[in-house]
Amino acid sequence: MKRLPFAVLALATLLATAHPALSEPKKVLRMAFRTAETGFDPQKVFDRYSVGICESLFEPLLTYDYLARPVKVVPLTAEAVPQPEEGGTRYTFRIKPGIYFADDPAFKGKKRELTAQDVAYSIRRFRDPKLASPYEWLFENKLIGLDELAEKAKKTGTLDMDTPIPGIEVRDRYTVSFKLKEPDFNFAYVLAMPNVVPVAREVVELYPDDMMGHPVGTGPFVLKEWVRRSKIVLEKNPNHRGYELDVRYADPNDPWDKAAIEALRGKRLPNLDRVEIYPIEEEQPRYLAFVNREHDILDETPFEFIEQILPNGKLAPALAKQGVRVFREEAPETTYDLFNIDDPTLGGYTPEKVALRRAMVLAHDRDQEVGIVRKGQANAAQTPVPPGVVGFDPAFLSHQQDHDPARAKALLDMFGYVDSDGDGWRDLPGGKPLRISYKYNTGSQEQRQLALLWVKSMAEIGIRVDAAAVQFADLLQDKRVGKFQMASSAWTADYPDAQNFLQLLYGPNTGQSNEARFKLPEYDRTYEKSQRYPDSPERNALYRDMSRLILAYAPWRLGVHRVFNHLQYPWVKAYKKHPILYTNFKYLDIDVAEQQAATKK
Amino acid sequence: MTAYVVRRLWQMIPTLAGVILLIFFLFNWVGGDPAQVLAGKISNPEQIANIRKQLGVDQPYYVQLWYFVQQVFTFDFGRSWSTNEEVSRILLTRVGPTLTIMVPVLIIETFLAVIFAIMVAYVRGTLTDRTIMILCTTAMSISFLVYIIVGQYLFGFQWGIFPVQGWSESFTKNLVTYAPLPIILAVAVGLAPQLRLYRSFFLEEINQDYVRTARAKGLPEKKVMMKHVLRNALIPILTNIGIYLPSVFVGSFLLEVFFSIPGLGREIITAVNRSDFPVIKAVTVYLAVLTMIINLLVDVMYKFVDPRVSFK
Repeated sequence: MKRLPFAVLALATLLATAHPALSEPKKVLRMAFRTAETGFDPQKVFDRYSVGICESLFEPLLTYDYLARPVKVVPLTAEAVPQPEEGGTRYTFRIKPGIYFADDPAFKGKKRELTAQDVAYSIRRFRDPKLASPYEWLFENKLIGLDELAEKAKKTGTLDMDTPIPGIEVRDRYTVSFKLKEPDFNFAYVLAMPNVVPVAREVVELYPDDMMGHPVGTGPFVLKEWVRRSKIVLEKNPNHRGYELDVRYADPNDPWDKAAIEALRGKRLPNLDRVEIYPIEEEQPRYLAFVNREHDILDETPFEFIEQILPNGKLAPALAKQGVRVFREEAPETTYDLFNIDDPTLGGYTPEKVALRRAMVLAHDRDQEVGIVRKGQANAAQTPVPPGVVGFDPAFLSHQQDHDPARAKALLDMFGYVDSDGDGWRDLPGGKPLRISYKYNTGSQEQRQLALLWVKSMAEIGIRVDAAAVQFADLLQDKRVGKFQMASSAWTADYPDAQNFLQLLYGPNTGQSNEARFKLPEYDRTYEKSQRYPDSPERNALYRDMSRLILAYAPWRLGVHRVFNHLQYPWVKAYKKHPILYTNFKYLDIDVAEQQAATKK
Repeated sequence: MTAYVVRRLWQMIPTLAGVILLIFFLFNWVGGDPAQVLAGKISNPEQIANIRKQLGVDQPYYVQLWYFVQQVFTFDFGRSWSTNEEVSRILLTRVGPTLTIMVPVLIIETFLAVIFAIMVAYVRGTLTDRTIMILCTTAMSISFLVYIIVGQYLFGFQWGIFPVQGWSESFTKNLVTYAPLPIILAVAVGLAPQLRLYRSFFLEEINQDYVRTARAKGLPEKKVMMKHVLRNALIPILTNIGIYLPSVFVGSFLLEVFFSIPGLGREIITAVNRSDFPVIKAVTVYLAVLTMIINLLVDVMYKFVDPRVSFK
């Protein structure tokens, strides 16, 4: 009997040391999303927050190196980044053996290994009419035989997932080869997208109506808890093989890289046990939750609080004193205002029409947009291609987009846009009234301010612009069918190549992504030629030519590249924001002692 | 009474039909095409047509309307267009947090408003009465948004009395930890107009002949106020609560958005922003039915409060 307490103590000690999880506090990261998620079916979701969660639950064949800038594609579930074969029309992937999906009833208690069939199935799934994937365009007119399957599916209602097609060839358990219709040197980027990830067919078939709520991937985390639009909890995937931080592409002079390497030295990723994400749409509670230490990270610092957080561009002393760090990110996105090139007033390619658009561009006060509307958190765009994207030329300057009302007036006078009837407003050459409508999203205060800036800027040169607020869905539709004169728009990189931005003005994309309906044969020829080149000085020269044509014909008024500020407390380790991937949970670490001490204060 | 209730229930049908028609045509005329949003960044007309087909919005209006009517009577509104979640599940999971906030708000607000109103009505014309009325007018002039922003900043952040925001799975924790600040702010906003209104109800009763008679009979003032005045003033108070009651089941979207409460109010805003018609339809019909049932219950309750009321 006397030995019992000792035995209990010994057993408890043994258990505690044998299972570190019992003795060590859990590493929990808490943060907010600005917008509520929609779900986690990777082939179905397209909002960045849902896709951001998918980044942790699923794994594509390729991904982006965490530290490399400019971004670099590296293998993830594939053994290597494939070299283009057959002139850029074939890509062959070999999947690493021994990668397992997270456990799920769909697998009936067995471990389920990732295979080439899963990759093939998931790519086909994009073209399934039942799914209506918003990323179907990625595989349209791309893989040999897939369009024909999709055509058949339109009649039958279901895509044939089994009949082999030459475009997707499963060679063995771990090898899949893609045959493209045309050369595409950006195909590797497509396969690094967080939507282009393998899903297990059994899971899709078990939860046909609720794949959004049953994400089962091979990623480092699993979805542990989900109170829709309120709380998302991820926990470490016990089936995950673990990673090591690749430091080959780190910049030895970058303090963020150095800190990440130091924090993760000798550690197996992921480090976090749990990630708690709270969608908070309002800016004040999101900001207060961070400064109250209820959250560890404040992604995308609200613009409303920028003066309190970053007065004169420097972190506020009160935050700096607590060790808060700020990561400034120029987002790989470009905002722009569209001129409808099919519009009889604004559109066309004749000198007087081009002059009108260029005069409007010159008169638009973009400095006010950056300084006032965007509170200094944006940089004026010089080309459609944002920084951080392959093909971006930092030396490219576009004086055609400078704010110069005097030049604008001279240009209008020269081409006969004068006040013919004496009402104080300029008229069209010939005397007909010149009146332009600018459409913007009714739900956005920022969009309203930008629309009013257009009205004000144009009034200064005598052009009458009416700002018209329309519902978001209507605005999308109007832009797709060309029912507008001017409208606001923006594009965020799907993959980091200039082609993703320059296709926005490619003639055959009219009615889809070419909202300006710009159809310039010279531009189209240059675009098509650029697609035949891999990343090279020759291709960059073609990209520059396209940018010049855009400036010359002015189908757009280039806007800005927004700047986001991301804050973290000092106990968050190895933070670095990736320009393409939205989340970075698998790389982060937490100093629990520091976190707990600060939270108790 | 049974005949009265059956008659009232029967009268609900044309009202419900009107609600269905109104929602349906409002959505189809001003709601925008949801397929445009769901199609993503790059899509062609065929893909948009496919989405429209899947959503059923490509059908003739009369077919869509018939589906809607079926949905109302089967209480099956299908799945959310944006998240594919069952609409019934959305309603069921969201109503709990909403009621956790709104039921205490209703109880506390009504209780305080009645107590304060009867007190100030009793001392009408005095400095206390005037001061409270000025305070009420001032309080009513301030936007709810200001209450929330300032209240959250002071109580949640500056003084750290309550958490800034949050919600848990535990009802007790929610009620004790996360709900108090939203409740306090909602009561602070709602109290002033209720107090003014109820004060006028009490004053009207105090000036009635029966009160003078009761006083002349020598009844103590407390009894006059609590037994005679309060009881008669309860009818308009009950009517007012009846008007307010349906909103209890929908919640305050401002509170829910600012305090991250996963309630129905926040859900409605999200649904509207995403043109998620199944959710909008379900919530609107649910609210309309609820309003009609509550109105009926309030009318039935009149009978118990005032014996002079009869069901005809």
